[in-house]
Amino acid sequence: MNAGKILLVEDNPDDVALTMRALKSHNITNDVIVAQDGVEAIDYLFGTKGRPAPTDLPAVVLLDLKLPKINGMEVLQRIRADERTRLLPVVILTSSDEERDIIDGYSLGANSYVRKPVDFVEFTKAAQQLGLYWLLMNRTPPPPRGP
Amino acid sequence: MALLKAAFTVLTSALLLVQTPRASEYQVKAVFLFNFAQFVEWPAVAAPDPQMPVIIGILGEDPLGTFLDETVRGERLGLRPFEIRRYRELTDITACNILFISRSESERVAEILAALGKRPILTVSDGDDFAKRGGMIQFVNDKNRIRLRINLEAAQAANVTISSKLLRVAEIVRTPRP
Amino acid sequence: MSIRDWPIKRKLTAILLLISGLVLVLTSVAFVTYEVVTFRQTIQTHLATRSRILAANSTAALAFANEADATEILAALRYDPHTVAGALYDRNGRVLATYPARAAADLIPGAPEPDGYRFEGGRLVAFTPVAQGANQRLGTLYIASDTKAVSDAIRLSGIIAIVVLAIALLAAYALAAALQGRISAPILALAETATAASTRQDYSLRAPKFGEDELGTLTDAFNQMLGRIEDQKQELQQHATRLEQRVADRTKELEHRNEALRRNAAELLAANNELDAFAYSVSHDLRAPLRSIDGFSQVLLEDYATQLGDGGRDSLQRVRAASQRMATLIDDLLKLARVTRAEMRTEPVDLSAMARDIVVDIQRAAPDRPVEFAITPGLEAQGDSRLLRVVLDNLLRNGWKYSSKRPQARVEFNALEENGERVFVVKDNGAGFDMRYADKLFGVFQRLHSAAEFEGTGVGLATVRRIIDRHGGRIWAEGVVDQGATFYFTL
Repeated sequence: MNAGKILLVEDNPDDVALTMRALKSHNITNDVIVAQDGVEAIDYLFGTKGRPAPTDLPAVVLLDLKLPKINGMEVLQRIRADERTRLLPVVILTSSDEERDIIDGYSLGANSYVRKPVDFVEFTKAAQQLGLYWLLMNRTPPPPRGP
Repeated sequence: MALLKAAFTVLTSALLLVQTPRASEYQVKAVFLFNFAQFVEWPAVAAPDPQMPVIIGILGEDPLGTFLDETVRGERLGLRPFEIRRYRELTDITACNILFISRSESERVAEILAALGKRPILTVSDGDDFAKRGGMIQFVNDKNRIRLRINLEAAQAANVTISSKLLRVAEIVRTPRP
Repeated sequence: MSIRDWPIKRKLTAILLLISGLVLVLTSVAFVTYEVVTFRQTIQTHLATRSRILAANSTAALAFANEADATEILAALRYDPHTVAGALYDRNGRVLATYPARAAADLIPGAPEPDGYRFEGGRLVAFTPVAQGANQRLGTLYIASDTKAVSDAIRLSGIIAIVVLAIALLAAYALAAALQGRISAPILALAETATAASTRQDYSLRAPKFGEDELGTLTDAFNQMLGRIEDQKQELQQHATRLEQRVADRTKELEHRNEALRRNAAELLAANNELDAFAYSVSHDLRAPLRSIDGFSQVLLEDYATQLGDGGRDSLQRVRAASQRMATLIDDLLKLARVTRAEMRTEPVDLSAMARDIVVDIQRAAPDRPVEFAITPGLEAQGDSRLLRVVLDNLLRNGWKYSSKRPQARVEFNALEENGERVFVVKDNGAGFDMRYADKLFGVFQRLHSAAEFEGTGVGLATVRRIIDRHGGRIWAEGVVDQGATFYFTL
C-alpha cells in the first residue's frame, strides 16, 4: 500500500470518526491528517510562521464543503492557485448533492465529487472505493522540484 | 401759301375787269326791260292763261337790235315764256305787257299814252321827260349809268303794280298838275 | 403697391371714381360736341337767314345795277359784329358792291363760287343766289363771318364741361368715400375678425353684421363656422382633459401596481433566496446527523452484536431504517424545492424515448420483477427535458411500484386527443385508489397507502404536479381500488 498521506478536511468529528473507521475497515492504513476547518487545511498545506509546509504533499485531499472560517470551495481555489499544489488530487466529499456545488467544484478543478451516503454500509463502500482508487490505482504527477 | 392764293385772286379779278367789255347802253336797257317783268304785276285780266307769253313790245324805231331777243331767249316768268313784238302803229298794239316807246316817237308820246289810256301796259321809254309826261318808267342816263324814273301815279292809274323793290332803286316823279 | 394689393376700400373708391369719371368725361365730350355742332348749325342758319334776307332785298339793286343801293343794303351787315365781309355779284359775276364799301381786295373773292355754306380759313362763308321769282337768277350774295363765336362757344362749353367734371368728380369721390363703407365695412370687419380669430386662436369672436344682403349671409355663415369651431375646440379640449385625466389615473394605478409588483418581486426574490439558503443548509446539515445516527448504529451492530441481543439488534436496525427513510424524505423534499426554483428551458422533447430510458433504469435496479411496459413510440412535447424526466420517472416508477402485487403487472404510456388537446396517459393495473381521495393524491406528504404496503414519501406526485403547473398544463387521475390507476396530463 502506498505510504502517501490523506488530508481529511472535515469539521464534524462524527464524520471524521466514521470516515476513519470506514477507511480502516478496508485496511487503508495510510496516515490521515485531519484539518477541522479551511484555515487549518491551508496552514497545513502552505505552512505558517511556527511550522513550515510539509516537504511531501498528501496523496489525496478529502474536502468537505461546509466548513467554518474558510469554506471548502475557497480551499480548493487556493490549492489550485498555488504552483506547488496545482496538481494535487482533491476529492470533494460532502453531504450535499446540490447541482450548484457539483458544477462549482469541478469548475474550480476538483478531481472528483462524492456524496456521503446516510447509509453507513454504503458510506463504507464509498470510502473503500475512494481509497482503492486514489491511493492505489491513481498515478500522481511527480512532485515539483523545490527551489 | 395763303398769301400766294390771295395774290392770285387779286390778279385774276383785275384781269376779269379788264377783259369784260363795258355793256353797251342798249344792251343794259334790254336787260332792264326783261327785268321789269319780275318787279311788276298786272291785273289778272291781262293774263287769263297762266301759260300766256309775257309780251314785250317795241313801238317805233328799234334801237335794241337783237339785244332784247338774246336776253329773253329761253327765259320764263313762272310758266310764261317771253315774246318780243315790234309795232309800227298804235293800232298794232293788242295784247302787250311791257311797251318800250322809242325816241323816234317822242313827238307823239302824249298821243300814244292817251291812246293806251288805262290799259294795263307798263310803258317804258328813254325819251326826255317821259315820266313827267305820264309815262310809267323812264331810262335816265347818269354818268354812264342808267337810272330809272318812275311815275307811280301813271302806273296805278293803269292798274299796273310796281314792286316796292323796284321803287327803291328808282326816282319817283309825278305828272305836274296844270 | 399693385392694384391687386390695394385695400378693398381704395379699390371700391377707385372703381366708383373710374366709372363716374368715365361717364362724366363721355357726357362732357358729348355735351361739348353737341354744343359746337348746334352752335355751328345755329350760326350757319343765322347766316343763311341773313343772307336770304339780304339777297331778297338786293334783287332790284342787282336787276337794275344800282351800286349805291347795293352798297347801302350791304352796309346793314355792320350790325353783325361777326361779319367781316360781304359782296354782291351781278349775273355776269362782276362785283356790284362790297362790304365794307371799300373792302380790301383779299376780303372779296374775284368771282362768285358755287352756292352754299362752308367753313374755310377760320371763317364761315356763304354764297347765296339772288333771284327774283322762281327762276330768274340775278346774281350772287357773298357773306363771310368769322368763327370767333364758334370758338368762343367751344371755349365756354369746354370750361363749363371741365368745371362740371371737376365738381362732379369731387362729388363722386365724396359719395364713393361715403358709400363704399356700406360694402367694405362688413368685409373689413369680417377680415379683421378672421385675422383676430386665426392669430389669437380665439373662436369666441363674432363678426358684426351690417345687413341682410349677401355680405350679411356671409357674415352669418362665418360666425356659424366660428361657433362650430369653438364648440369642436371645447369638445376636443374636454376630450383631451378627460383623456389626460384617464392617462393620469391609469399611470398612477400602474405606478401603484408596479410598486406592488416590485415589492412582490423583491419579496419573492428574498423568499427565494431564503428558500435557497434553507435548501442548501438542509442539504448539508440535515443529513449529517442522520449519517451519524446510521453510522454509529452500524458501529454498535458490528462491534457489540453479542452484547445487544436480538432485541437490541432489532431496535438498532429500526433506528437505521428510520434514519435512511428520513434521508430519502429530505432528498425528495429538496427535489421538490429544486423543481420550484429551477430555470425552465423549453425545447422539443421525445417523451417516448425518455420513457424507454427510464424503464431501462427501473428494470436494471430490479431485474427479477417481470413487469410489462407498453410505450407508444413517437410521443413528443414541448418542455424542459430535465423536469419532464422527473415527471415520467415518478409516474412510471409509481406504476411499477403499485403494480408489484399483480402477477402480471403492466404499465402503459400513450396519448389521446381530447377536445383538440393532446393528453398523455400513464396507466397501470396495480393497487389503484379510491376516487373519493383523488384530490389528495397530489398534496405533499399525502399518501393513500401505508409505508408498509408501498414505500414512499408522498412528495413524488406533488413534485410532478408542480412541474406540470410550471409547464402550464393540467394533471388528474382516475382509479379503482385493486384495478389500477390512470394518470392524465397535458403540457
